[in-house]
Amino acid sequence: MASATPTASNAAPPARRTGLLRRFSGSEHAVGWAFVTPATVLIAVFGLLPILWSLLLSFQKSDLLTPETPFVGLDNYKQIPGDATFRLAIEHTIVYTVLFVPATMIVGLLIAAALNRKVRGISIYRTAAYVTMAVSTINEAIIFMWLFEPSFGVVNAVLNGLGLPQGQWLSSPGQALYVIVAMTVWGWTGFAVVIYLAALQGVPKELQEAAAIDGAKPFTIFRTITFPLLSPATLFLAVWLSINALQLFDEVYLTTRGGPLHSTTVVVYYLFDQAFQQFNAGYAAALAYVLFLVILVITFIQFRVGNRFVHYNR
Amino acid sequence: MTTSTTATAPAEPRFRFTRPSPWHLVLIPLTFILLVPLIWMVITSLETEAETRQFPPVLLPASPQWTNYPDALSAAPFLRFMLNSAVVALVVVVANLVLCSLAGYAFARLRFLGRGALFAVLMATLMVPFQVTMIPEFLIVKWVGLNVWDQLGIDHLGALIAPNLATAFGIFLLRQFFLTIPVELEEAARIDGTSRLGVLFKIVLPLSLPAMATLAALTFLDSWNSFLWPLIVINTESNMTLPLGLTTFQGSHATHWELLMAGNVFSLLPMLLVFFAAQRYFVRSVAATGLKG
Amino acid sequence: MAEVEYRKVTRRYPNGVVALTEFDLHVDDGEFVILVGPSGCGKSTALRLLAGLDKPTSGEICVGGAEVTRQGPGDRDIAMVFQNYALYPHMSVYRNLAYGLRQRKTPKPDIDRRVREIGEILGIVELLDRKPAQLSGGQRQRVAMGRALVREPQAFLLDEPLSNLDAKLRGQVRAELKRLHQRLGITSIYVTHDQVEAMTLGDRICVMNQGEVQQLGTPQDVYEHPANVFVAGFMGSPAMNLVPGTVAEGQVLLGGHTLRAAPAGHDDVVVGIRPESLRIAPQGHPGIQVTVDFHEPLGSHALVHCLVGHDSVGVVGDSAAGLVVQAGPDVSPAPGNG
Repeated sequence: MASATPTASNAAPPARRTGLLRRFSGSEHAVGWAFVTPATVLIAVFGLLPILWSLLLSFQKSDLLTPETPFVGLDNYKQIPGDATFRLAIEHTIVYTVLFVPATMIVGLLIAAALNRKVRGISIYRTAAYVTMAVSTINEAIIFMWLFEPSFGVVNAVLNGLGLPQGQWLSSPGQALYVIVAMTVWGWTGFAVVIYLAALQGVPKELQEAAAIDGAKPFTIFRTITFPLLSPATLFLAVWLSINALQLFDEVYLTTRGGPLHSTTVVVYYLFDQAFQQFNAGYAAALAYVLFLVILVITFIQFRVGNRFVHYNR
Repeated sequence: MTTSTTATAPAEPRFRFTRPSPWHLVLIPLTFILLVPLIWMVITSLETEAETRQFPPVLLPASPQWTNYPDALSAAPFLRFMLNSAVVALVVVVANLVLCSLAGYAFARLRFLGRGALFAVLMATLMVPFQVTMIPEFLIVKWVGLNVWDQLGIDHLGALIAPNLATAFGIFLLRQFFLTIPVELEEAARIDGTSRLGVLFKIVLPLSLPAMATLAALTFLDSWNSFLWPLIVINTESNMTLPLGLTTFQGSHATHWELLMAGNVFSLLPMLLVFFAAQRYFVRSVAATGLKG
Repeated sequence: MAEVEYRKVTRRYPNGVVALTEFDLHVDDGEFVILVGPSGCGKSTALRLLAGLDKPTSGEICVGGAEVTRQGPGDRDIAMVFQNYALYPHMSVYRNLAYGLRQRKTPKPDIDRRVREIGEILGIVELLDRKPAQLSGGQRQRVAMGRALVREPQAFLLDEPLSNLDAKLRGQVRAELKRLHQRLGITSIYVTHDQVEAMTLGDRICVMNQGEVQQLGTPQDVYEHPANVFVAGFMGSPAMNLVPGTVAEGQVLLGGHTLRAAPAGHDDVVVGIRPESLRIAPQGHPGIQVTVDFHEPLGSHALVHCLVGHDSVGVVGDSAAGLVVQAGPDVSPAPGNG
């Protein structure tokens, strides 16, 4: 044995130190680190560092301008429960999420079900349904402001034509949030359709045929066979749309700036307002961490509850 | 009798009229309702100011006001906004493709010290919403602009680019795809004397075009539509991206709906073109993240 | 249970493809009929039309004497076993079996009784609480059959039900199917491309090609008296030898040899000889001189591929005899009664 590897046993001890270095530089370790370093540094500076800094900031008082950021302990967090506007913002965010998420899912599912068939020109219909994915929140907000314009808007014209009362929409504290729900549902329709249509196409046709032979009517087949098999897509959409709903900002900033009378002030808008308009960055950081926790908890609950009814193939 | 019928059988008409499916009666109105907002945007963009101020609204403009478009373009530097958006999006997409494939490959195939821990930390950042990081990010960008290179600082395009050059999501997406490529292909190339970098570029990436296209499509969409971050860091009009520029345009022309809609159509156009050209990739990437996520 | 009848059923797809042409078939009450043919021959279309999953372009379909052509699949009281079983993946075996009964508003105690009954018959009682993903291929196959049988349907349709099983299991399930049919006596229509299944299972076989019936008859009938060259070539394994011959003076000339009386009124004929009807004879015995091309040992016997002129002819030889094939020795098989 020893005689079989004489060169290795002789050469190894003296060369050990340089060997380690040299071995490292040409090794998978070195190549691996060389490959990951650029991306890691960037993510560390712009992703990781801000997360930690934000936590620190939430225990400080900062106006983003002056370099002094005095430590204030838990003051920022203690301030949250007594903040009436923040409580309003939470309320609005919950109302918005509870309306927006199911509405988008139902609209998406219905359209996807209608599009899941072989009809001439179906790809044109599908493209039309997907197209809202290409529309940015800004385009969407400007269009819907015009549709819901109180004096000259199409929506009021249609209501007028039908003999129904017209609305003040985005100018009305009682209606503005619902207009924002409508515009965001429209904006997310393409996304929901893509998800549900892909899931529908993954349901084997034989299962629906077997159910038909078993005597189930089309709606029963959808309810008992197709929809349960879509549950992974349903869970994904519920989680994904909720996360996005809790972070609603663009449309509010563009249409109402949280008004009228704070009626559309949602959490992230309030957070933005505190940080970059009121210059209470420390307090905003604390709010952000609370939001983060809420999102984590809600997502966790959704997965726990969801996993009870979700059927994963294989 | 049977012989005579079979003899005449080929005489039946070749071109048969197939009745259109009744589903069109559902699909056409449905599509129309979905598209009404976009159709109405285009119609309004061709009306006169007087026509926009009629109730009930004018359904078709008396004569299309094509001049609304040059008017809108001269009222705000839309071409500049578009150029800024394109520069930012392209740099970000290319950087993500390069940096994330390097890192994703290392995490998928190379055994290096600390791989597991580093990957876990990077993935953890994915869970944190942007609102948590945006305030310190603002401070970091400000500091970099003052101390490293002003082009990366507040109110420069660099501030929109630098934080998005590499994403943990991109690394994750590509790593997952690389793991599905048979390792034997890479081993064969390595036995033939190809370096790791060579394996990545000559073997792995050519096989990963669908995943690369997915990452490119999602990154592009994200960058192009990004609003909150540009709103925080950009103040000067000439450095604004489309969403931000459109917002300031809206602020100064709030009642000129025909100009607003013309600007809106114009700003929507590039993304629509990209979307139609690459619809396959957008749809596939969204569906893929949805079904795997 | 009921008889099933197709009357001049044609199915033409919008793209012009005709899957089934003027298809006529009468299946007696309790009969087991096999539809067999190569892929694309229309056998699956015929089955789907009977199930109601597809509608014919013209013609009528009757089940139990009643016309069902325009009825939906749920109204025909027919059950079907799919090739990939189509078990509902999110339901337990029990709920899979009960699904059809529930749709028909069967009372709960009855459902329970019948599900357990069929579970007993198929030996899947201990699987009732499992999900399809937790079953083996053979178990899934049983559940799929159970789901069809539990409804006590008028007719039982099977679409290549054994093709997803491995060879050994396939033989077992095939025997079991036969036993099950003898026991329950349900009118069954079985689609397959495997002529061994066709021969062993069917009361009658319907051989199909390009949307048309080639021959309908008992397995023995189809095997011994194929109606045409297609049937002759399709049924039987190893495949029948089809050798062109010419007719002269009431006799068939085949590679320089004469065979028995030929049909009148033809000049050229195709002679079909089953490989098992040929024998290998020692050199010098009366017979046809052939050149051995190669041979495939099959355990109990061997299939010897010979050349007669330019035609390849298969001969079943006795491998126990220790047939040694050297390069190109001449063998003279004796003509059997092909």
